[in-house]
Amino acid sequence: MSNVSLIATASAGLGAAIAGGALPSKTRVASAVLLTWVSCGAALAGAAEVLHSGHPLELQSAQLLPLTGVTLSLTPLGAVFVVTTAVVAMASTLYWLGYASHGLNSRTASVALPLFVTSMLMVPCAASVSTFLVLWELMALSSLALVLNDQARREEARSAAQWYAVMTHVGAAAILFALVLLSAHAGGQTFAAIAAHAKHLSGAVRSTAFLLAVVGFGSKAGAVPFHVWLPKAHAEAPGPASALMSGAMVNLGIYGIVLVGDQLLGGGPAWWWLCVIALGVASALFGALYAATSTDLKRLLAYSTADNMGLVLIGLGASGLFAATGSHATAAIAMVATLLLLVNHSMFKGALFLAAGSVQVATGTRNLDRMGGLMRRMPVTGVVFLVGALSVAALPPLNGFVGEWLLFQGLLHGLPTTSTVVVFAVLVGVGALALTGGLTVAAFVKAVGIGFLGRPRSGEAADAVEVPYSMRFGAGLLGASCVVLGLLPMLVIPALERAARSATSSAAPSSVHGWVTLHLAGLHGVLAPVLLAAGLVAAIAIVASLRRLAHRRSNKWRALRPAEPWGSGRLLQTPRMQYTATSFAEPLQRVFDDVIRPARDLDVSHAMESRYYIERISYRSTSDDIVEQNLYRPIIGAANWWGERARSLQNGSVHRYLAYGLVALVAILVVIA
Amino acid sequence: MSSSPFASLLEIAAGLVIVCAVVTLWRRSLSAIVKTLAVQGVALGAVALILGLHQHDGVLVGVACLIIAAKGAVIPTLLARVLARDPRSRESTPLVNVPASLVGAGALTVLAYSATRPVVALVATTAGQLIPLGLATMLIGFFSMIVRRKAISQIVGLLLVDNGIALVAFLATAGVPLLVELGASLDVLLVVVVLRVLAAQLWSRFGVFDLDQLRELRD
Repeated sequence: MSNVSLIATASAGLGAAIAGGALPSKTRVASAVLLTWVSCGAALAGAAEVLHSGHPLELQSAQLLPLTGVTLSLTPLGAVFVVTTAVVAMASTLYWLGYASHGLNSRTASVALPLFVTSMLMVPCAASVSTFLVLWELMALSSLALVLNDQARREEARSAAQWYAVMTHVGAAAILFALVLLSAHAGGQTFAAIAAHAKHLSGAVRSTAFLLAVVGFGSKAGAVPFHVWLPKAHAEAPGPASALMSGAMVNLGIYGIVLVGDQLLGGGPAWWWLCVIALGVASALFGALYAATSTDLKRLLAYSTADNMGLVLIGLGASGLFAATGSHATAAIAMVATLLLLVNHSMFKGALFLAAGSVQVATGTRNLDRMGGLMRRMPVTGVVFLVGALSVAALPPLNGFVGEWLLFQGLLHGLPTTSTVVVFAVLVGVGALALTGGLTVAAFVKAVGIGFLGRPRSGEAADAVEVPYSMRFGAGLLGASCVVLGLLPMLVIPALERAARSATSSAAPSSVHGWVTLHLAGLHGVLAPVLLAAGLVAAIAIVASLRRLAHRRSNKWRALRPAEPWGSGRLLQTPRMQYTATSFAEPLQRVFDDVIRPARDLDVSHAMESRYYIERISYRSTSDDIVEQNLYRPIIGAANWWGERARSLQNGSVHRYLAYGLVALVAILVVIA
Repeated sequence: MSSSPFASLLEIAAGLVIVCAVVTLWRRSLSAIVKTLAVQGVALGAVALILGLHQHDGVLVGVACLIIAAKGAVIPTLLARVLARDPRSRESTPLVNVPASLVGAGALTVLAYSATRPVVALVATTAGQLIPLGLATMLIGFFSMIVRRKAISQIVGLLLVDNGIALVAFLATAGVPLLVELGASLDVLLVVVVLRVLAAQLWSRFGVFDLDQLRELRD
């Protein structure tokens, strides 16, 4: 029974891709979805077995891949990622059934999507360098094909795919160097051999490998400053693909850092983890800030992904830091918090991206300033988005809250140590978490308020209709899991603890107890999500009934007219008088003016007759990514400059090109002679 | 050098290979150049044949026959067919004139001798002493590709390079495996076919075999 599930996952996934490529257009999506579900089901079964027993599933085949063979091993840590990916993938493929007719039923897409899912399911199972890199590359290429899906219709998709292709391959090169360096020193390329040899490596080799891995995997996770591809590619990818990329693929970047840092190298000095925390703080703040000022719905969500991965990196770095300074109990809590944040992020970001895809299908736009009033027109999608938004804003009783609570507990209780550096790092981390939390709330209040409430700002938004059932179910599945995980986090926490223990190979006892009330071992923190939810429901019921009571008693209340929330009362004449996404973000943009440096464009045209009468005013404010502007544009400019210089070497004459060859050859011969 | 008949024959055949290379630089008539190439192909085959008979290596003898057929007959015939459109075409204005080219060929031969000294010292046989000739042939071929304008001359230059490499291979090793030799020959044959088509296209488009026309393709 042991490795049947691994074989079934891989073969059903490949079968789905083949079905997607071979069948006619009527049946291809449905059969690909069916087989992908089989693949996900097999993966879930295998992962459940591993998480239950604690023993890894192993599979080796010398024939599957030439020269190196395939080595797979599903550890409890990998199983957590497999389960998360499988859940997001099942919801996204279900959603794909309805989305397919909106430009995602081509042969290429039907091959790429199942391949993408399967490669993401298999990456955490890889147990040798070559297997890992092959699967990693397969994941990058299949997702690249999905980003390119809309390129015929939109120029931006092509540019996004270019950014993605370059960044993912630079990242893959860094990962390749890191893993090859380790396996060259270990004298074997299986992860077991590398881990066994890690103790004998010199500090310089270990640090080089770790930092390369952080750069490579960090670029996949969207850590600032390697994030520039993420807001472009995640926004341009079609609905189900963007949910998979943001909900599942970025996790694997974090997995890679845990794999190299903890499993292969067995932890490291404190400064490694301080680097990770610094990266996390930068990503969290930067992502949250740009999410708060963005007016493109999917771009907002993508920046929020960078923000959440920043939180995860802070947790991961804190866990490593605590382990390096000897406080293993807090390290275990921080690791569990990190994994819980990851799982939660997959659920709510998947739900949000699927809902955003539905909005795009229904209105044909991603611009928040052209939406409005969608809650009434698309109630299911609206509620799913609302649940996701509350969850990402870390409000109880949803899952985002539990994860951030655990992270705060871990960070705050890690404080009483002797090292000032640790205290400082943790304090900066806590401050960043707090500021990020506030900015995230602002971003999602804007997304829900402007996009879903108020009155429609465009004809498309006014004519929007609810999407097909499969899309509602797909998004709803993830939305429901946000609620369930928020109420009953103990459903997953024991599994996460087992995974954390296998990652850090520590024998720390279980640190979180209690089904209804969460107790932390050794700490004073207590949380009762169910009671909290019950209290919230009770409070809302009390307020509602008091209001009804007052309504009945007093005549004053009768004079009130109900108005659309966020509609600015009923007095306004046109929907254009409502708050817009730009105006909502304006105060924040003003505060962070020096960081964002938006380009403002105010254009006033006067009436012909008199310059005291203004005919129209157009105001445009665009905020380009400052990292892209200040870090990447100069690099691209320099590369172009070199390219232009190099062109003068080529004048089109065949003789000249041949002469270059002969001159080089003669020079070499003269040197060796 | 030794004076056995085997050594003398080998020296004559290998010498003929490089003499033919120099002759292609000296002659201007394209049809004469192609004929010289055929002679070189036969000489190269003869080198392999002599080595094969001397070492009693049946496979090497087979390879020799193959080379004589391909490089002495098939490829020159293919080239001659292209030339049939314009039998009097000449390499009238090479980028470097003929005396200067011959001086250049001499310099390249000296370079080849000095660069291969370590290899020659390593292989003590008669065949080993002749290795510099192969390298010189290769360099001369490369040189002729640079200084000649016509597409046919380019093909001939490429074939000189290939013949040089093959000569080194025969002399330095105890014989090239049949499979490798087959692969290399097929490769060259394919290149010749492609270049032949290119030359024919050039002819039909511009009425000359002049490669400088291709500069128009840039930008």
